[in-house]
Amino acid sequence: MTETPAIIADLDLAACEREPIRVPGSIQPHGALFVLDADGVVSKAAIGALAVGVVDDPVGRKLADLLPGDARRAIESLGTGLVAGRGPEHLCFLRTEAGAFHLVAHRSGEDVIVELERATGDEPGSFDAVYPDVRAFLDAVQRTSGIQALADLAAREVRRITGLDRALIYRFDEEWNGEVIAEDNGGRLPVYLDLRWPASDIPAQARELYRLNRLRLIADANYEPAPITPDGAAVDLTYSVLRSVSPVHLEYMRNMETMASMSISLLSGERLWGLISCHHQDPIRVPYHVRAACEFIGQVVSMQIAAHEASALALRRDALRTVQGKLLAHMAAEDHFIDGLLAHPRDLMALTGADGAAVVAGGRCTRLGETPDEPAILSLVEWLSQQDREDVFVADSLAAEWPEGEALKDLGSGVVAISISQIHDSYLIWFRPELVRTVSWGGDPAKRAELGPDGLRLHPRKSFDIWKETVRLRARPWHEAEIDAARELRVAIVDIVLRRAEEMAALSERLAAINKELEAFSYSVSHDLRAPFRHIVGYAQLLKKFEGERLSERGDRYIETIIESAISAGQLVDDLLSYSQMGRSTITPVSIDVAAMVDEARANLTVEGDRHRVDWRIGDLAPVRADPVMVRLVVQNLLENALKFSRDREPAVIEIGSEAKEGDVTTWVRDNGAGFDMAYVDKLFGVFQRLHREEEFEGTGIGLANVKRIVERHGGRVWAQGEPDRGATFFFALPAA
Amino acid sequence: MADLKPILLVEDSPKDVELTLAALEQCQLANAVIVVRDGAEALDYLFSRGSFANRETADPAVVLLDLKLPKVDGLEVLEQIKKDAHLKGTPVVMLTSSREERDLVRSYSLGVNAFVVKPVAFDQFFEAIRDLGMFWAVLNEPPPRGSAPSP
Repeated sequence: MTETPAIIADLDLAACEREPIRVPGSIQPHGALFVLDADGVVSKAAIGALAVGVVDDPVGRKLADLLPGDARRAIESLGTGLVAGRGPEHLCFLRTEAGAFHLVAHRSGEDVIVELERATGDEPGSFDAVYPDVRAFLDAVQRTSGIQALADLAAREVRRITGLDRALIYRFDEEWNGEVIAEDNGGRLPVYLDLRWPASDIPAQARELYRLNRLRLIADANYEPAPITPDGAAVDLTYSVLRSVSPVHLEYMRNMETMASMSISLLSGERLWGLISCHHQDPIRVPYHVRAACEFIGQVVSMQIAAHEASALALRRDALRTVQGKLLAHMAAEDHFIDGLLAHPRDLMALTGADGAAVVAGGRCTRLGETPDEPAILSLVEWLSQQDREDVFVADSLAAEWPEGEALKDLGSGVVAISISQIHDSYLIWFRPELVRTVSWGGDPAKRAELGPDGLRLHPRKSFDIWKETVRLRARPWHEAEIDAARELRVAIVDIVLRRAEEMAALSERLAAINKELEAFSYSVSHDLRAPFRHIVGYAQLLKKFEGERLSERGDRYIETIIESAISAGQLVDDLLSYSQMGRSTITPVSIDVAAMVDEARANLTVEGDRHRVDWRIGDLAPVRADPVMVRLVVQNLLENALKFSRDREPAVIEIGSEAKEGDVTTWVRDNGAGFDMAYVDKLFGVFQRLHREEEFEGTGIGLANVKRIVERHGGRVWAQGEPDRGATFFFALPAA
Repeated sequence: MADLKPILLVEDSPKDVELTLAALEQCQLANAVIVVRDGAEALDYLFSRGSFANRETADPAVVLLDLKLPKVDGLEVLEQIKKDAHLKGTPVVMLTSSREERDLVRSYSLGVNAFVVKPVAFDQFFEAIRDLGMFWAVLNEPPPRGSAPSP
């Protein structure tokens, strides 16, 4: 097999795409064409070899004046009856000395194009002649089911009605390559069934022409075109029956050894679905009425195809919708919808008919069924997130879209991915494995054209021998319904995510309301609960002051106890308030000089409790990043505790130090005081938890709870070590400054 | 004694009135103490209107103003005082029930001259009132025993 220089393939494509096939400037020779202006005057004309002698020198004259009887009346009555964008209307059958003709006309912009097509005999031929065949075809169509049976039937019937050597049903794929799916062959031409043809064999503008004009006949591949004069290249022959075709195409036909061809377009809706492509070894003119019957058959087949495709799609959609319903129920049943999907891998994969699926969310990848490995999936996700794509990414061949995707080919040649959160690069991805297939082409599709001996003009390939190609890196294609199902699932997920977000918003609104209530509550506690204690203390002290002399020693002690109790109750209220405030107030982190804060706290404390000697050992204290008001409370509290519990030591030793590690600073306060039993360490930081009897060490039991709350609100950690009578060490870790 | 300006105590709780008076008494201030029981009455006194339209007593030397009061609250009374050209020089000491309330006064920053968190322990309160009295009110005249609430 020789390599085709790429330039030839490119030339070929470009040249064919550029060919002015709608305005070839000439017609096939089995008739004549006249372009009439609004007054019915011929502005341009072409007279083919088989129409010579019907009218001479028509340009500049009224066509009606040049034609006899029926034809004249038909043309005179044309008026504005023809609508642009439609195929020709049959006006009449015209017998002249030069032969018999069908007279047809259609509108092209402001002009009317009248064509005389040479009849195949002297009689017009009527639809009655083909009616039994058409009728039989319609009956048979009723009994067929499925596109294949319909295609077989259409090939058979069209060949029977036309008597041509071969009828093919040619179907386009998504890339406009064609495949022969049905064939009826009389034995004179090669069999092409199951062969594929490259998209370039029928270039885009030819396909568009097929879509508009549903029937085309080339009567003789060796014909001599009749030029339209003057200025033939200005006449749009889209709907013409005599349109001359590209010389490249005629050469292609000669290479295929077919001298005549006829094709009928098959449409599914507005889309060109395929062709009924007929060939004959010898030149032949298929009669007008037979072509009309074929066109009718083509329309029936088109409608059947459209109906069949629509119902197949609907069936598939229904099935997928059932799966989708199940998935939605699974998702709704779980707190997090992804868990609902992961718990039902079978349904998830059935939704798109995939062999494997993966959910990538928050950097976590969960794989179900047959999928590429995790690093491969994560690199795919990375690539996907860089693409500016729509909601759904679909590839039958991932490697064709993303060269590195070849690494995923074994289990992930086919990929459908939906993004389920744009913020977090979360995707749900389905996979299909590579499906290695052998495709038979009608000739080497790479050798679309060859340079001729002149070295300038392009020639279509001469060989149509079966050329086998192995197709790799491709999965079974995703069905439209499957892609839609994935898209719909995405919409459902996005809905769920949105609904969750709304629920969260409602929840935080409620929380805010509750918080506000709590604030009001603590305000009222602070005000109303504190006042009675204040009054108790106040009156008891007044009583003691004014009536103290008259009280017994016992009465005096009672009053002292009342005062002390009320004061500590008031202290309790104050501590509780500050504890609740710690939980609510906002944190404003700044860089804190812990050493300065320790000095300040020491100064405050020693003024009050300067009863015993304290040996302070203060090491290097690293700065932290936290709320200064709150950290001051922590330092104050820990130093207060250290002093309190070491007050019966002589001397009391209080050591303060810190260590910075991995972005955190751990600061500790160690004393040589009463210590505690590690068995109770869990109780140390709880509210109202005390490890010592009250007469030993006073306190409300809230101080350390407050410390813990403050540190934890900063994302830090507190802990303690101790031993009874051997002192205690309290640690707190906060972010480094 | 008549040329000594009085202290205006604005306090709704009768117990707090009694305790405050006891504290003031121990400070041995020469000034009379006028007690009013809500914000509206305080404003009436300050602006010589309503039942105080014809008051003979002078404008106060200092106003001891509880924060939380019936009818017109302490902050509003404070605002009125500080807005009035004639009264704005009068020192106002805000009495608050808790530290939380103290924060409220601070954030309000209406030009309060001092604030005192009423402590649970009476002797601390006594000290606070005494300090304030010394500072704001007046002189230490010989003990004028029994400066009765008025009216």
